[in-house]
Amino acid sequence: MVANQNPGVFSELETSAEGIKTQEMLLNMGPQHPSTHGVLRLVMTLEGETVVNCTPVIGYLHRGIEKILENRTVMAGIRYMDNCDYLSPMLNETAYASAVEQLMDIEPPRRAQYIRLLVNEMQRIASHLVGIGTYLMDLGAVTPILWSFRDREGILSLFEALGGSRFNVNYMRVGGVLHDFPRGWLTECAAFLDRFEKNMDELGGLITGNEIFEARTQGVGYVDQQQAIAYGLTGPMLRASGIKWDLRVNRPYGAYREVPVNVMIRQEGDCFARYKVRFDEIFESIRLCRVAIERMPGGAICVRTPIALRPPRGETYFALESSKGELGIYFISDGSEYPWRAKVRGPSFVNLQILPELLRGHKMSDVIAILGSTDIVLGEVDR
Amino acid sequence: MESMLILGDLGSFINELYNGILSWQFLQFVVLFISIFGFVLTSATLLVLAERKVMAWMQDRLGPYHTGPWGLLQTVADVGKLLLKEDIHAGQTDKAVFLFAPSVFLAPVIAAFAVLPFSPYLTLPGSALATGIVYLVAMSSLDVVGVVMAGWASNNKYSLIGGLRSAAQMISYELPLVLALVGVVMLTSVLDPHGAGVGTISLSGIMNLQSTGVYPGKGTALWDFVFQGFTPWTWFFLVQPLMLLIYYTCGLAETNRAPFDLPEAESELVAGYLTEYSGMRWAMFFLGEYGNMTIVSAIASLLFLGGFSGPAVAYLTGLNTIWWGLLGNLLALGYFVFKIYGLCFVFIWIRSTLPRLRADQLMQFAWLILIPTTLLNIVVTGGLYLVLNALGISNLIFLIALGVLNWLMVFAFIWVVQRATTATTRSAQAPAIRARQRAVAARVPAREAAPQLPEQSGVAGGSAS
Repeated sequence: MVANQNPGVFSELETSAEGIKTQEMLLNMGPQHPSTHGVLRLVMTLEGETVVNCTPVIGYLHRGIEKILENRTVMAGIRYMDNCDYLSPMLNETAYASAVEQLMDIEPPRRAQYIRLLVNEMQRIASHLVGIGTYLMDLGAVTPILWSFRDREGILSLFEALGGSRFNVNYMRVGGVLHDFPRGWLTECAAFLDRFEKNMDELGGLITGNEIFEARTQGVGYVDQQQAIAYGLTGPMLRASGIKWDLRVNRPYGAYREVPVNVMIRQEGDCFARYKVRFDEIFESIRLCRVAIERMPGGAICVRTPIALRPPRGETYFALESSKGELGIYFISDGSEYPWRAKVRGPSFVNLQILPELLRGHKMSDVIAILGSTDIVLGEVDR
Repeated sequence: MESMLILGDLGSFINELYNGILSWQFLQFVVLFISIFGFVLTSATLLVLAERKVMAWMQDRLGPYHTGPWGLLQTVADVGKLLLKEDIHAGQTDKAVFLFAPSVFLAPVIAAFAVLPFSPYLTLPGSALATGIVYLVAMSSLDVVGVVMAGWASNNKYSLIGGLRSAAQMISYELPLVLALVGVVMLTSVLDPHGAGVGTISLSGIMNLQSTGVYPGKGTALWDFVFQGFTPWTWFFLVQPLMLLIYYTCGLAETNRAPFDLPEAESELVAGYLTEYSGMRWAMFFLGEYGNMTIVSAIASLLFLGGFSGPAVAYLTGLNTIWWGLLGNLLALGYFVFKIYGLCFVFIWIRSTLPRLRADQLMQFAWLILIPTTLLNIVVTGGLYLVLNALGISNLIFLIALGVLNWLMVFAFIWVVQRATTATTRSAQAPAIRARQRAVAARVPAREAAPQLPEQSGVAGGSAS
């Protein structure tokens, strides 16, 4: 016996029916672990390989974004929203800008709304690609992540041409967007979407029918409808449990008031259903992008707003359908240039709460399958 | 007088030693030992590079390309780095076991190469070993000891889980692996050239049985040149394709390759039993693993794909001239290495395609599907021979009938596996999991059993999350 077991981390010995002494093991997964998608720490009690209990510990990536927002002018805050859910910056920016617009009662021009729809849907594709790719990586398939990142790179190149930066684009403005399209951008975007759709068919052929993948995900991490609602799940997590709830349809905002969206739902409520919902949403987003390109109206891209933006005294809540669920901004202004409070309702944070409930009773390998299927981003959980 | 006698004895001893060292047998042994040892070590390096390049090709990226032309020297640089690295071992490890485990893992792999015939000349005395297959299987089972030692000694929970998973997996998959080879061994007793019905489990014996078949146009110069000793229509994979499939699958599990790489599942166990290792000790595990890959492929090609036999080998070595013989041996070596690397390519291909199985699914697959199938194959092979032999039907008809039956079994096997996985996952699991969740939740009330964090255990009123 090695003098290694710290007695504090083991519970007392229990004797099983066969007279074998067993003990539960406390296992720390993370914060440095390959598949916790950042710095999530899971403190798990294991009985053999079965999870008896699990406590997620968060806060390792806390940067105080909400506090930073209070200390920056409203315009400057948009840039910090990029780092919130760092896999979908465009959606975060849109949420923040739209919340301010709602408070100031500004209606962006139609062209700006369509541009927002286009880049938001592309961002949703990029985010889902990362979600699917890393999920398959967790399950041990090494190819899908590289294929999906290759296609995501196409989207980021388009963003770079549009906003000057691949990732933290800082493209949205209160009242519209920063730049109009460069020459030929829309054609390039349409060509990319055609290429991308073919690649997605190939990716689906690699993953979806795979028996090992199905065996790993089907029936694992089951969330029923009541549970999903009780835990406040949103986004693909909710829709995979058979509830038709999508803010783009239920509370349409911006150009979604004119462009109808097909909501993708699955009834199974397991990991496979969550994967499939994301996968189908990618195709739906491709369709929406094409609609936006086709209907792209002319005109201004931004309303004229004062340089020192002073939202009126008051408060507002604006939520949009982010790639992971309902991304809400609760914005309180005291009439100055600085927001008095800007609270972010991050979907990842809310979706993470159900994790201990899902993990209980599963094998240790399933921990990865379930955690990956919730598709959380620690930047948004910790903020 | 006595001293003279001793001197005389010594002289004759030295004389014999001198003759022995200069003998052709000894020279053959030295050449072969060096080339095989070099092959094992180089093959691992080459395979790592090949794996990275092939996977890069399949994943639409470039792979290593900075070191040397097209990145060919990348693994050489890697090995250099590993050799120069500090040999770290974490505190509170079981030091002796920790330091010894990599050697225990690597030694059987190198020892296993002793019985592999590489070409008509490059054949260690061991390749004529009458118990070749038993020796190989024994060597490949010894690996698990090193893995368990590493997992235990590392003083790391991930390592421990990895080591134990590996032990369970290797022991479970050893059985269908051996049972799959039994099918081939049964064929050898049917095909016994002396007609006595005595089979062989020596590797060169089994290989020779696959290259002594008749070929059309015997006596024609061209046909003799190509087909002498090269008769692909008698290779055993035609008669026992399902056993090749199962052997290969078990080989994947034996060598801890995807989709059976649970012991070192990166996303779950960080690196399994390898977690605490670094530098050359880590490299020894790696070397052993890739050596294992080579052995599994080599056995598959020897038993099912005719080993080193290929066009012109037997003809050129049969000429009994040194240069043509050398050419023939080089060709044989080339064919053999080509077959090995072809099978290794499939290893890599599978790795870049498939996700990983779960531990219980892995065990289910071995015990509920593979072992019954291999047992069934043994019964079918023996039963068919008994029936046809009793009817006085020739061996050729038996082989053809068995081949047809076995090919049908391949498709049936794939169908059964498909049905089994879909049936178990799709219908059965969701309600079962719900019930299990409820049961576990009832047994362990969630709030009371929430694990106390070590750093919070002293803090009064600190909730876990």
